[in-house]
Amino acid sequence: MSNILEVCNLAKTYDNGLQAVKGISFDVRRGEVFGILGPNGAGKTTTLEMIEGLREISSGTVVLDGINTAEEPHVIKKRIGIQLQSSAFFQNLKLTELIEMFADLYGSDVNPIDLLAEVGLKEKANFLVKNLSGGQKQRFSIATTLVNKPVMIFLDEPTTGLDPQARRNLWELIIQIKKLGTTVILTTHYMEEAQYLCDRVAIMDDGKIVAMDSPEQLIKQLIARGFLPNTQVSPATLEDVFIDLTGKTLRD
Amino acid sequence: MRQNIRSFLALTKASLKMYYRNKGAIIFTLLIPIALLSVFGLLSKSRGGVVNVGLTNYSKSEVSKLCVKTLQEIKAFKITELSESQAAAELGKGNLDLQVIIPKEFGALMNGRPLTGSIETKFNEGKPLNGQIANMAIIQIVSDIDRKITNSPRILDVKSSGVTTNALGYFDFILPGILSMTIMQLGIFGVAFSFVALKVSGALRRIQATPVHPIYFVFAQATVRLLVTLSASLLLIAFGTYFFDFHMLGSYLTFILVCVLGILIFLGFGFAIAGWARDETQVAPVANLIQLPMVMLSGIFFPRDAFPAWLQKITDYFPLTFVSHALRKIANEGSTLLEIPVDLIGMTVWLVIIYALAIKVFRWE
Repeated sequence: MSNILEVCNLAKTYDNGLQAVKGISFDVRRGEVFGILGPNGAGKTTTLEMIEGLREISSGTVVLDGINTAEEPHVIKKRIGIQLQSSAFFQNLKLTELIEMFADLYGSDVNPIDLLAEVGLKEKANFLVKNLSGGQKQRFSIATTLVNKPVMIFLDEPTTGLDPQARRNLWELIIQIKKLGTTVILTTHYMEEAQYLCDRVAIMDDGKIVAMDSPEQLIKQLIARGFLPNTQVSPATLEDVFIDLTGKTLRD
Repeated sequence: MRQNIRSFLALTKASLKMYYRNKGAIIFTLLIPIALLSVFGLLSKSRGGVVNVGLTNYSKSEVSKLCVKTLQEIKAFKITELSESQAAAELGKGNLDLQVIIPKEFGALMNGRPLTGSIETKFNEGKPLNGQIANMAIIQIVSDIDRKITNSPRILDVKSSGVTTNALGYFDFILPGILSMTIMQLGIFGVAFSFVALKVSGALRRIQATPVHPIYFVFAQATVRLLVTLSASLLLIAFGTYFFDFHMLGSYLTFILVCVLGILIFLGFGFAIAGWARDETQVAPVANLIQLPMVMLSGIFFPRDAFPAWLQKITDYFPLTFVSHALRKIANEGSTLLEIPVDLIGMTVWLVIIYALAIKVFRWE
């Protein structure tokens, strides 16, 4: 598998002297789901924004699909789809109207209804964004990243604040996008999410990558280091109980 | 290029829909100026829209009779013949706007030649506007009659005929003022709050995530605001004309052109504030700091003549002073663009200053 993204010694120092990202390097392979994990303030969002061409790079290089981000940010933006952390915007527009608007901005022609059907929002086509539930807003937000048929999409904490049903529903959507051949890079706080979705993950802390591999390999390495869980390992989690009792049906 | 136009049109369409689906904003846009106009319209109607003149004629001459007759023919004047002391008392109580005293020797002939005589006028300091308008009218009537009697050619011509023939009232004075104030408020408050909200909510950031430069979003928002404010202006003019008999002596086209200039200036203020501010809490104090002095001191509700000279000098340079003054000259005196060069230069200078400033302080996040 070839690399779609190559990040080399990427660093960001803000005007106030804060070093948010301290020289990180990683590759993302074409067609995989790559996760960036880390506590708040680890530099995940800054890293994504530098790759996307939304934030100036202090040092280092980013090459995405053969294009240097810093040199041609506008070319990059045509080929990728970006979902931002906050999706509470354009409240008074209908879903179809917003899809049409974004399609116009990329100069692409999509059928809004078909695209909405892809993310399971066909019935909500004539709703205003403000009348959607949290999970629906996130799915719609992902739909807007797909209008230009991007080679890669960026999802910044796509499931934060969602209930377990909506979260699982979004996972299925991400798997579906991956199956269509789009590379996905996402950030998350939820380990079970990363384990379920990601082919490989990078764990960031304090602006640096402290580990990078597939979730299985990382777990194996931990056990090989002689790790002993501090609680009795249970074959099920509380979330399993919750889903078993309340079902997987979406509530929004 | 074609893609840029497509982006601009798409953003304009979306901005327009966002605007007209926001019912609260539409009410804010129209309700306040309509209410203000109605209050002032009803106030000037309840006074019959007339200037109350108390007249004392000591003279028995033909000329003085002609003078009184001419005054009585002016629709805007309500002439009451009173004794000098009665009239003075009524003027003091505020029931009269102007007291006119025609002295005994006025217009009398001596050896076939007219004596010189002067009419005395006193106007109500509390209502300087009505009094001054009436005073101007009387000065003109007298000088007209004077000219007829002495058969002297008119050497100096004061072009104030509009005052006597068109019964200009307080409403005609107030409408251009309220209109310019509305243009200012929609420009500064309307734009600053809505645009900073788009910035805070991440809408602007989301546009930045597309290949389109976010300046197109600013252009689209400005276009919508220009259309909305222009429509509101036209509606206010129509409302004032239909319900309160607003008089337009100049050209509507010129009037609207100045409105557009004013809209562009105050949109610039709005975008400068919204561009600079990080969130809504920073908008309110700055917008108020700019708007309040202008509402109070730009001569919107009453003429600036009442201010001390130094204050007049400062307020001369307010953008709202230029806009409202220009609109008044066009509506009340029938001025053309060539006759208001100072206002036009003032507005142009403000236009350049405010957009240069907006570009300098604008922050995308």
